[in-house]
Amino acid sequence: MSVLANALPENTGDGYVAAAYIVFFVLLLVYVAIMALRLSHVQRDLRDLQARTQESAREHETRQGSGAGSSDVGSSDAESGAGAAAGRPQSHDDETLEREPA
Amino acid sequence: MGIALCLVFFYAPIELEEGLLQKIFYLHVPLAIVSLGGFVLGGILAIAHLRTRDRRWDLRSYVTIHMSLIFGVAVLLTGSIWARGSWGHWWVWSEPTLVSYLIVFLLYATYQPLRFAIEDPERQARYASVFAIVAGAFVPLNFLAVRLSTSYLHPRVLGSSSNLPGSMRFTFLVSLAAIALLFATLCSYELTAKRTRMLLRSRSRILGYR
Repeated sequence: MSVLANALPENTGDGYVAAAYIVFFVLLLVYVAIMALRLSHVQRDLRDLQARTQESAREHETRQGSGAGSSDVGSSDAESGAGAAAGRPQSHDDETLEREPA
Repeated sequence: MGIALCLVFFYAPIELEEGLLQKIFYLHVPLAIVSLGGFVLGGILAIAHLRTRDRRWDLRSYVTIHMSLIFGVAVLLTGSIWARGSWGHWWVWSEPTLVSYLIVFLLYATYQPLRFAIEDPERQARYASVFAIVAGAFVPLNFLAVRLSTSYLHPRVLGSSSNLPGSMRFTFLVSLAAIALLFATLCSYELTAKRTRMLLRSRSRILGYR
């Protein structure tokens, strides 16, 4: 703050006006940058989830192909998870706030 | 926002006493009004949460208060710069408007630590809502108390004591609308981002990846 104070010209409002508007836009920019960073993490997680889902779907197809008619067809991790999800009522999980890294 | 900035720098006349410095008014005052309004709105949304027990209202209340805090930082910084230019001090402790805003800001600064200190999501949402309602009720009371106080340096913009010329009033109202719109947009942006993240986390958990 003192560095800013020394940099500002005395007796004119120009420097102060510029400083106020710059501070506001910098704050806005920092916020948008943080949000963009978080969205890039979401994008990465989404890609990861998609890859895992495709992988387990392929695994499931392979198992079905090799052991058609066997009873352990539906025992893959993904399927049991999905089955549990289908049986479970939609909880408030989607709306649970968790502390996130800054 | 662009229109508001154009009006501030090219349409609104330069004030005789403060000169160019008065242009901070079109940023600082709308920011303060919108942030205080946001705190009150957070309380209203928290009432909706307690009434319906729907977690979405709690999320909205949280995002509104979070955004109001960010706007609050901007209010304090722009206010300090204006005070330095106008009064020669970064902060005046004897000025009730400044101190009361700081008290409100510090009160809400405890919202997030309090919220995330509770692990159980249900209790977390409930306690945060109670806090938001009580603090939200404190904001207008605090505002009224300051208005009733007699000794102040801080100028009054709206009300019977205001003698703002038409062009300045118009610019101020456009700036207020622009800042309110910015607030709503950022809230919506953050709300969408949060919902997407939660949905993703929830789906990963359901599929057994986490």
